[in-house]
Amino acid sequence: MAFDFSDWRGFLRRRAENALAAMLATMFVAFLLQISFRYLLGLSTGWTNELSSVLWVWLVLFGAAFVVREEEEIRFDLVYAAVGAGPRRVMALLAALALIVLYGISLPATWDYVTFMKVESTAYLGIRFDWLFSIYLAFVVAILLRYLWVAWRALRGVPPGADRS
Amino acid sequence: MALASPFSLSIVAITLLALLGLPIGHSMIAGSILYLLLANLDMATAAEQMLNGMYSNYIILAVPLFILAAELMNIGSMTERLLRFCNAVVGRFRGGLAQVNILQSIIFAGMSGSAIADAVGTGKMMQSMMTAGGKYRASYAAALTAATAVIGPIIPPSIPMILYALVSDASIGFLFLGGVVPGLLMALSQMAIVAIGARRENFPVEPPTRLRLLPGITWRALPTLMMPVVLLGCIYSGVTTPTEAAAIAGAYALVVSCVIYRSVGLRDLYRSLLASARTSAGVGMLIAGAMAFNYVVTVENIPADVKVLLTQWELSPVTFLILVNVLLLLLGCLLEGTTILLVIVPVLVPTAQALGIDIVHFGVVVVVNIMLGLITPPFGLLLFVMTRIAEVPIRDIVRDVVPFLAAMVAALGLITFVPELVLFLPRLLGYEG
Repeated sequence: MAFDFSDWRGFLRRRAENALAAMLATMFVAFLLQISFRYLLGLSTGWTNELSSVLWVWLVLFGAAFVVREEEEIRFDLVYAAVGAGPRRVMALLAALALIVLYGISLPATWDYVTFMKVESTAYLGIRFDWLFSIYLAFVVAILLRYLWVAWRALRGVPPGADRS
Repeated sequence: MALASPFSLSIVAITLLALLGLPIGHSMIAGSILYLLLANLDMATAAEQMLNGMYSNYIILAVPLFILAAELMNIGSMTERLLRFCNAVVGRFRGGLAQVNILQSIIFAGMSGSAIADAVGTGKMMQSMMTAGGKYRASYAAALTAATAVIGPIIPPSIPMILYALVSDASIGFLFLGGVVPGLLMALSQMAIVAIGARRENFPVEPPTRLRLLPGITWRALPTLMMPVVLLGCIYSGVTTPTEAAAIAGAYALVVSCVIYRSVGLRDLYRSLLASARTSAGVGMLIAGAMAFNYVVTVENIPADVKVLLTQWELSPVTFLILVNVLLLLLGCLLEGTTILLVIVPVLVPTAQALGIDIVHFGVVVVVNIMLGLITPPFGLLLFVMTRIAEVPIRDIVRDVVPFLAAMVAALGLITFVPELVLFLPRLLGYEG
């Protein structure tokens, strides 16, 4: 299959979707393993539980950062849906700026917290917590970039969500 | 509470950001960060609360698993066979298909935990069956489907009840049991409304299925019919935790659809995995935001303050419950149910306990109430889902949904004032409350 270099964004999006689906599938299988180990082999498996919890944290933050679109998220969009393109641009700009400022100022402290967590590891799988929680940093950076983009477009006059394909 | 206190400013910020159209999860996270900033607290606390809360809460893992289970049931032909079975049983009565719609929702409720999944899954099929050949008004079919989908999360399993258990520490198993009688009560009230409407509007009767065909139809639907039994059996025999039961539900649906009915391909499987993962991430963001904000609420001691305030009023438990019902019904017109459950309800739980209201009873009342919000005009989410599926204007659906809504509000009143209706089953199985 020839790779279409012009569609790198679509390519990345599909790989992110693959990863997200794989996380849920792994979580599902881990649970089934846990139940069967307990009943068929009489073993209790702490690691399956831990794996599921790790995957859940990643599923939510990775999904929110790279897969789920703003329109799919749970929003209160009555006002937004009721107004025209002009007010929408202003609303999108204000919301984006507020989010950028607040997520932005919390980033250094959050960085310190996440990197500090290297002193602890998970009980069964021995995953260092700084690695486990690093997805939150990725999430914040992705959200910052996304809303910088939203704000830039609102300034330039493109109504939000105009060219989503 | 001072008007310019960090807490009130953070609430104003969350409300404004949400009104501007920002996802509610982000609004709550941003508002919590603002609070930490103004109150001179460590700004990493929001992240810390979210990450630790998400990581260490075993019961929330049931949410993605139940979402996946519902999705897996919808792609197979489980739905179709179930409908054929229901039609064979109640189709022969006047307004038969309408009764089929209610009966299937009771059985389906035993499998999926989400009202939206029920409406999207069987809703489409019910809608086309009911409107084929002009049997029923499209708006009536849509209103009925919205109303019956509400039963889903009241009869176990139920994602909203899992979320309530998360914020109240009530037992999921007993909450699930507590929903059974109220769920059936609501279904009965809907059946009565259909029966009355059927006589007045002369609804059609389905050609009766010959009795000798019934065993075959039942046999083909049996794997589907057994699912609630397997699922609830797992939970109440103590074989699995409710969270694990969610995984069993998914595995069961997968086996039935792929192996027994042979109706699901790999591509369908991938699509439903991805769709469930997306939905889970969306709900998860809301849970994460609520965790950050609930930390703020706890630091500010709000639940305790509300408790002191409300006990000063010397409310009787019944007055308190009425107030809660009115408050939630009003909020339900504006806010999405998950947000109410995760943010508003935790503030009310301590007061309920202080007034001696049983925590399981309170949970079921709250969940029923929030489910009614899904079909309450003007903003009930299910009404919008059905407008899209049925392609009829929302005002027509609203007109047809009103009698059902009224009957269900009456049922809500009944379970509010007669706690035994909720607590009878849990007590039978050992609940000491």
